Order: sequence, then structure tokens, then C-alpha cells
Amino acid sequence: MSDRKTERLINLTLALLATKRYLKKSEILANVFGYEGTQEAKERMFERDKDDLRSLGIEIEVGDLDVFFEDEPGYRIPQKSYELNVPDLTSRELAILSIASNFWNDSIIAPDAQSGIRKLQSLGIPATFDFEFRMKYLFENPSALLEQLTQAIDQKSRISFSYESSSLIKRSLEPYRIVFWNGYWYLIGMDLDRKAIRLFKLSRFLGEISISKKKNEFEIPVDFKASDYLPKSNIDSVKTATVKIRNGAGVLLRNRGTLLSEDRSGLESDIYEINFENEEQFLRELIWHGTSVELLEPENLREALISLLKGVRS
Amino acid sequence: MSESALDRTARALDLVPYLLEHQGISIPELALAFGVSEKQINDDLILIHMCGLPGYTPLELIEMFYEDGYVTVYDPQSLNKPRSMNKFEATSLLLSLDLLKSLQTEQIAEEIELLKLKLQRNMRFENPYVVVQQSEVSPLIARLEIAVRKSTPLRINYATATKDSSSVRDILPLEITLANGFTYLNAWCQSSLGDRTFRVDRILSFEEIEGTVISAPIGEIGSFEASAKIDIKVAKSARKFIEENRSIIANMEEDEQASEYLVKINPIDSEWLIRTILGFGGQIKIIEPLELATELQNRAELISELYKG
Repeated sequence: MSDRKTERLINLTLALLATKRYLKKSEILANVFGYEGTQEAKERMFERDKDDLRSLGIEIEVGDLDVFFEDEPGYRIPQKSYELNVPDLTSRELAILSIASNFWNDSIIAPDAQSGIRKLQSLGIPATFDFEFRMKYLFENPSALLEQLTQAIDQKSRISFSYESSSLIKRSLEPYRIVFWNGYWYLIGMDLDRKAIRLFKLSRFLGEISISKKKNEFEIPVDFKASDYLPKSNIDSVKTATVKIRNGAGVLLRNRGTLLSEDRSGLESDIYEINFENEEQFLRELIWHGTSVELLEPENLREALISLLKGVRS
Repeated sequence: MSESALDRTARALDLVPYLLEHQGISIPELALAFGVSEKQINDDLILIHMCGLPGYTPLELIEMFYEDGYVTVYDPQSLNKPRSMNKFEATSLLLSLDLLKSLQTEQIAEEIELLKLKLQRNMRFENPYVVVQQSEVSPLIARLEIAVRKSTPLRINYATATKDSSSVRDILPLEITLANGFTYLNAWCQSSLGDRTFRVDRILSFEEIEGTVISAPIGEIGSFEASAKIDIKVAKSARKFIEENRSIIANMEEDEQASEYLVKINPIDSEWLIRTILGFGGQIKIIEPLELATELQNRAELISELYKG
């Protein structure tokens, strides 16, 4: 059964691609191999086949035949839209693309990237190996969410989902962009309840998302920039702390700090100035060093550190 | 396996132009390229063989030849060019390129931007993905990547992960991986005679050691210093710990009422664990073994001493 349908779909594609003029429905049903049964059955079959091919992304153009044929519409697949067209793609670029597409290992994105590459490899560009790269990306498995979100963003359809957080669980969103950042996946969009653009981590989505049936429900603001909604990482937010490090300890801290005063006796400790961005993370780093590292300044950070330790003891 | 007629159609339409540019390719190679079984490819070829243009005389059929498992196409009929990419294919390639760009140093950034423009020129959909430059790409990466490619032995000065000290090791770099926002170097470590994983931001410095030959034995797998099973409780507010250390988690259960996770940890170095948990200020608690829980308390006490008065 599947064989016959596949065969018919291929034949239909070949015929509609080969024709320069529009083919009448009656011509198609009479000549393309695989249309059988009553006239009504054939027509139903043809309607379904058209939908199927369109769902594969194949454009089927409907046009009026010339005036001598009655009012019957005609069909064809315009070559220009069917065929992949990447002008002047070079061998080296193809090599770069192949390497980039290998990042995905067995993640959900792999099949799409692979079939994309296969199509480019069918363009007749000679393969070269003048680009090599030996890095691998291992990340949180991006899950089927990515495909659904890609779809929703493309159609501009609203979505709703459950999100693991301390406050609101149910969220309704106008999805803008999927962000890959430091090995994690995020979604940025307009939170319809909070009326503000927010960032969501995909690993905290609970269960399925539902996509609205409507399309073009919103527009992404022209001045929207994903980077504006990520936790800030810029020079303004860099803070400085003064830290006492015992001799022979704190190799990593010393490596990135600036030595303020050196202990000449060689027994005690040195004082370093160290820059940091994320306070929580920096405190964890200092505590990791145990008694070998003491935070001297700033005062408010000292208090935060002391209360962390209190937390452990309580 | 029940595959829809539609998926098969899509593959068949892609197979013909692919064959045209890979004349004489073997069935196993084809199966690999298309990610399906050899039987499936055989079935596809038999099917394609019967397709063609109205008339369906030998002149109008797709003409191909396969013998001894090698395939050649003589006449593809109207399928002589690959089909345009669908939105998932195109956007996943753009995403891959952005990833590559975020890892590479400046050198090919421009080339990649140009390439992206070429791909996007005929795209009828927008790219939903944004890749943000890895914030912690180490300046050492570019040199390490070359060392991996050329299998150059390295002498590294490495800040140990479990203790606060550094050691010098001779290694053969094998592979760079990025995960959880960190960059790792997998290598054969001559100093400890085993496969080891180094976090690149803990490599204080390194030099290529010319003239030295280090070769990694095949199949050797590094082992952790095993400790007993450890059970911990992680408050949801400290889920960063879980996200950053997925590889050590053996089992995880959610306690919704207490808003925390019960986590079983694979045997690991307990020194590392204690130091790491301390910084979460009570949001992570050790349940088993008890000695470890007590040790955690004592450490917190000791450090607090520094800040008295």
C-alpha cells in the first residue's frame, strides 16, 4: 500500500516538474501512473496527494489554462522553487558546513542537519578537506521542543506551557527567539501575563507545549535584540574583591587576580585583587578553597559569605 | 518499522539527485548517508526504478543501474537537482554555523557570515535561533585545537579539580568537548597512565613538547577514585548544581511538597563534593553517609572562624 502511494507521489512530482505549461487535472488523472478507480476516487486521491506534497514543502502552482480549455485549473511545480539554489557555494564552504553539522551527534537536530547537508552535497560541488576542526559540542538534549518552537516562531503563533518556577507555573507567550547560550537552550518571548519580555530555560519546561491554531498573532518588535534579555555580562557589572590567599594555595584565583602585596616571610599569605561578575558563583568559588582563602573586602560580600556558612551549619 | 509513504517519498526524491553526484556509490554508504538500513535503501531503489514520466516506456523511466551493491544513475528524468531545503534543515544548518563561529577564534567568523547570507538568500522563513558567544571561551582554545588535530604532546600545568593545588602533566590531547558551559580537553595522561578529562579553564599554562612521543593505548578508560554511594537533598533554588553536574547523578526524584530533589550520586571524589556543596549555603544537604554530613558541618565551622572578630 505504502509502496503504491509513494510511487504515485513520485510520479506526480516528476510530471509536474517536467511540464512547462500547466497540466489539467484530467490530463494528470489520465496520464500519471497510479490513479485508479472511479472518477470520484481518482479525484479524491489527487486532492490528498497535492496536500501531501505541499506538506513536504513542495510548491504546487495553480494556474488558469489558456482560454480554449474551459474553466479547468491547471497545475505545475515551478522548478525555481523546487530546486535548491545556493549560488557560488565553494568546496571549502561545503567542508565548513559538513563540520558544523557534525556537532549534533545523536541529538534531535542531527537528522535535519544531515538531510540539509545531503542536499548540498547533491549540488555537484567537489568535496575538499581543506578545513578541519576537532571540537565537539555535548549539550543538554534539546528535545522535540525545538521543532515545535521553530514552527511557532515561524508562524507567529502564541504558545502556552507549564514552567518549573517558584511563582507562576502556567505561562502564555509570544515566542520570539530560541537562544543557545553556554551549553543551554532558552526561549525568549513576550510573557502575556506579565506583559514583559522574559527568558525561559527549556530544561524547565514541564510536559508538552500547546501552540495556538491561529497564525500571525503577533510581530517581533523591530528593535528586539536577544542579547538584551540575557543576564548581563559586561564591563559595568564586573566587581572587584580583595582576597587573602595562603601561600601554596588558590592557584586558579592567583592565576586570574592581581597581586597587591606579597608576603615576604614566605610563611603566611599574599593579598590579591580579583574581578568577578556573578556574586553567588564567586562566593562558591571562594568557599571551595576552605580556610586557604579569606575574603577581606567588600564588606557586604563578606556578610553574604558568612551567612552562606551559617546556612550550612543550621 | 512503519514509515509513512510521505517520508519515503521525501527520501526517494532526495536519493536520485544524490546518486547523480555520487555515481557508483555502494549501498552501505548510501544507507549511512541517509541514516536508514541497507534493506530500506534497496527497497527505495526498486521503487524509484519503476517511476518516471507519463508514457512510462523505458525512455521515460528513471534509468539506473545497480549491480553488486553499487548504484549508478543514467537518466534522472526531471529529478536532476536537489530539492530546496525545508525550514528545519535550513535553520539547523544556520544554527550549526553559528555554533562553529562561537567556538572558533576570529579567523573564520567573516567566512561564516558570508556563508550564512548565501544560505539565507533563497529562504522563505526566518531563522528562529540565536547563538550567544560562549562567554568563557579560553584564549588557549585555538592553540589546543591545533594540538589535538596534529596530535602534539603537551606539558600542562593543571589546577587539580579536587584539591587546591596544581600539578605538571604530560598529555596527548585527543578531543575538545563543550558541555554545561565548560570546555573540556580529553587526553591520554602519561603521568597517570590513563584517560583523563581536563577542564580547559583549569589549565594554567601549557607548552608543546617537541620530539616527545606519547601514544595512547587503545581502549584504556580512566577510573574515578570510588567512594561509597552518596545521597543528597538539593533545594530547587540550587538546581544549578544539578545542571552543572549531570554526569555524576545516578538517580533523581522530585519532592514537590518540600520543593527539593532527592539525588543519588555516583561514586566520586568526596573532597570535591564537600568543597562544592559548602558554597551552596545549606541549599544542598548530605543525607548519606553521615561522616560526610558531619565533615561538611566542621568545614563550615572552620571557615567561619576566619571571619570572627
